Amino acid sequence: MEHTNKSEILRQGAIIFVFLAVLTGLEFFVAVAIGAVALLAVIALVKVALVMYYYMHIYKLNAQDEQLDRHSFEYKLNTRRLGLWLFLLSDSFVFGGLFVSRFNLLGLTRPDLNQVLGLAVTSVLLLSSFFMNRAESSMAHGDRRGFIIGIVATLILGIGFLAGVLGVEWPNAIKAGVTPSASAAGAIFFMMTGMHAFHVLTGVIFLSIVLRNGSRGIYSPEKHWGVEAAAIYWHFVDVVWIFFYPALYLIGKLI
Amino acid sequence: MKKFLTSALVRGLLWQAIGWLLGALFVTGIRFLMGLNPFDQFFFTEPAWVFGALVGAISFVAGTGAMTDWFKWAKGEETPEHREDPPGWEKYLNVSLDHKVIGIQYTVTALILMCVGGLFAMIFRTELAHSGLQFLTLQEYNTFMSLHGIVMIVGILVGVAGVMNYLVPMMIGADDMSFPRLNAFSFWVVPPAAVLLLSTLALGGFDTGWTGYPPLSVRAPVGMQMFFMGVAVAGWSSILGGLNLIATVLRMRTKGMTAFRMPIFIWAAIATSIITLTATQLIGLAFQLVMFQRLLGMGFFDPAKGGNPILFQHLFWFYSHPAVYVFVLPGLGLISELMPVFVRKPLFGYRFVAMSSLGIALVGFLVWAHHMFTSGMNEYLRVPFMYSTLLVAVPTGVKFFSWIATLWKGKIEAPTPMLFVVGGIVVFLLGGLSGPPNATVATDLHLHDTYWIVGHFHDTMFGGYIFPFFAAIYYWFPKATGKRMNETLGKIHFWLMTPAFLTLTLLMMRVGLLGMRRRVADYDPALGFDNYHLIMTIAGYLIAIAIAIFLYNLYISLRHGETATGNVWNSRSPEWQVPSPMPVHNYDVPFEVVGEPYDYGLPGSAYVRFADGSQSTKH
Ligand code: HEM
Ligand SMILES: [Cu+2]
Repeated sequence: MEHTNKSEILRQGAIIFVFLAVLTGLEFFVAVAIGAVALLAVIALVKVALVMYYYMHIYKLNAQDEQLDRHSFEYKLNTRRLGLWLFLLSDSFVFGGLFVSRFNLLGLTRPDLNQVLGLAVTSVLLLSSFFMNRAESSMAHGDRRGFIIGIVATLILGIGFLAGVLGVEWPNAIKAGVTPSASAAGAIFFMMTGMHAFHVLTGVIFLSIVLRNGSRGIYSPEKHWGVEAAAIYWHFVDVVWIFFYPALYLIGKLI
Repeated sequence: MKKFLTSALVRGLLWQAIGWLLGALFVTGIRFLMGLNPFDQFFFTEPAWVFGALVGAISFVAGTGAMTDWFKWAKGEETPEHREDPPGWEKYLNVSLDHKVIGIQYTVTALILMCVGGLFAMIFRTELAHSGLQFLTLQEYNTFMSLHGIVMIVGILVGVAGVMNYLVPMMIGADDMSFPRLNAFSFWVVPPAAVLLLSTLALGGFDTGWTGYPPLSVRAPVGMQMFFMGVAVAGWSSILGGLNLIATVLRMRTKGMTAFRMPIFIWAAIATSIITLTATQLIGLAFQLVMFQRLLGMGFFDPAKGGNPILFQHLFWFYSHPAVYVFVLPGLGLISELMPVFVRKPLFGYRFVAMSSLGIALVGFLVWAHHMFTSGMNEYLRVPFMYSTLLVAVPTGVKFFSWIATLWKGKIEAPTPMLFVVGGIVVFLLGGLSGPPNATVATDLHLHDTYWIVGHFHDTMFGGYIFPFFAAIYYWFPKATGKRMNETLGKIHFWLMTPAFLTLTLLMMRVGLLGMRRRVADYDPALGFDNYHLIMTIAGYLIAIAIAIFLYNLYISLRHGETATGNVWNSRSPEWQVPSPMPVHNYDVPFEVVGEPYDYGLPGSAYVRFADGSQSTKH
């Protein structure tokens, strides 16, 4: 790929980020001002579509590569992509199950949670996706410095998200009486945030490995599947939160 | 002996024990420091057992070395693409990346699990031979009954994985699966899962049946947790195996093998894998939620806390109904695969049969609540689920039409594999016909939780998978070993097992209709079916004898079987065009698909052409 392309790609990543940020703000506003569940669902779906297309590059699954040699790196790379996406499909059934369980148990009510904190951790995760995208695009264009900066920023924000959820949100909720064992609402809140945090944690570990290998120069613009996989996984975790955030914080009347 | 003791299997078991102990001690230590009671009825406390079990299962897999290459990749090291296996039997006890070895590992594990599960059945079947309690306590009865169910289900899942692993890459002309290491990993999580399931016996058992419904499962002894954990671990085998299989079929087919020129079994394998890849997560989730409810008092299913026990049943059946198609789709695929070979006629309606597999799998996702008609779920859900369930009969009927039309005016030969094919169809027909009455709300209100249901699903499972599984073993045994299985013993196996089995299940349905509840250790002699129960127990023993004959046949054929390296069944399928046993990387000479797979009886038609010019023109 040409070097001129790089700034183009980075700019695209930034524009998408702005869109996502605006939509998140809009989401919050819609929830507070109108409370229209259908509109929230539409916004979430638009956000997910943007992330899947521009950050996760789902269209790459459609590579027309039948004529390639089966043992070539390129062909195998496309197979690995397929494998990862199948895994995410499988994983999304866990989150889908939790999501449906939440509505089964609570209907259109929600536990009383700290709204500022919810919006804050959501923004942190969104910002981390932006840096993740930068890191990957930089590596694809051979910019190792940009890659390292991007990954480190993603890692810091990811850990920040974990600290926010596990270190602040959980104790807060418990103080407010939303504990795992007090009610089904507490149980499902801790289960959803816990399952998601577990995935963020595995993502952080994955990113640390990629950072270590990347700073030792193992990846090249042509061969950096590890980076790409970590990025897709990271964005997936963000996609999950795009659904979980409104489900836990925005939808329904307070219990 | 030394080779055995240093094998991956033994290493893994050792690591599992160590990991389990350390994990349990860790939690016990923490509890001690926190001032909680560190010990309990079964020595360790429940959280200690659970955490230990998790650490133990991971230690097993790490201890076998199935993850070593991944650790190396994480460190940035390269690993060789292939690994050479040692010759002889050791490769089956060690981590191999070869799909054929893994297929056989799965198959043998499945047979072992089925024998264990069968043994449990013999124990409680003996208890049932007469009304009154003979030699089991109620808790023992429940535990054996529950373990029988889950061990058989895991056994069938593993058997399905075995057949698919062995056959799929060979049939599509690939040298292996897409992700060989993931394939090995998927197999090596099964043994620790089996250990977990069996450990329930030592931890108070569990009395819920394989469905594990709360609130009963919230109150059961610690063994319950081991059951949940075992199923969750085995579930990963299913999920990752399905992932690998879909990727393999989509990416590794040989030249010319378009979608509608794939062997029909491949369609079935794909349909099955779609289910295992996705739905399995929900049984894992359902079980996890109960585990957390037990450990932390989280009230998902506790009405006192605003929870909902029906939710568990929805999550559970969202997997467990489609799971029944995981069992039968590969089995029905095997029937469609083998029948044309023994009838020497094309498979009737290939495209419809292919589509019916996908149709069953997809409609199968929409029917789960037919297991919950009496559960107290919202009543308006009953009728839609009744109709969606009855809808499954349509694609299933397509398969029956195809089989009958394929048999019609064929030159039928009936060696042992074909006997099991036909036997499977007959038994599955009984299972299928007993399904719609369960799906119809009005009748199911009476049939639910009776022995009728037990008869129904034994017919579907045996007809749908066990018979075809035997057919597959008799059929591909020469491919795997270069030897043939003994025909006479095979025929005795079939003619002993089939009538005994039909007697057993038809009587199950009969006593069910007369009022016999399922999952009970005792029944009222006044109901007047003591004699039926005695006959069922005798039939059960006859089946066990037939299986023993089969195992003996495996052993003796392996040692002294008649050599068979050629195309034993005159098949057109590519794997039979090369000598048996299969070379390590499958096809030394690659092939191309040039015709239809099942054009038996059409002179001059060819399915595959090898690069060196040889063709399969069997007809
Ligand atoms: C025409 C096709 C079928 C229909 C309409 C059907 C319908 C049903 C229904 C409605 C039930 C619930 C009955 C109750 O508990 O009251 C049931 C139970 C069951 N079926 Fe089927 N079935 C069909 C085929 C199959 C197949 C192919 C299998 C598996 C290989 C299968 C395995 C089972 C099992 C295991 C149960 C009992 C589950 C339990 O409660 O433990 N069925 N069937
Ligand atoms: Cu069902």
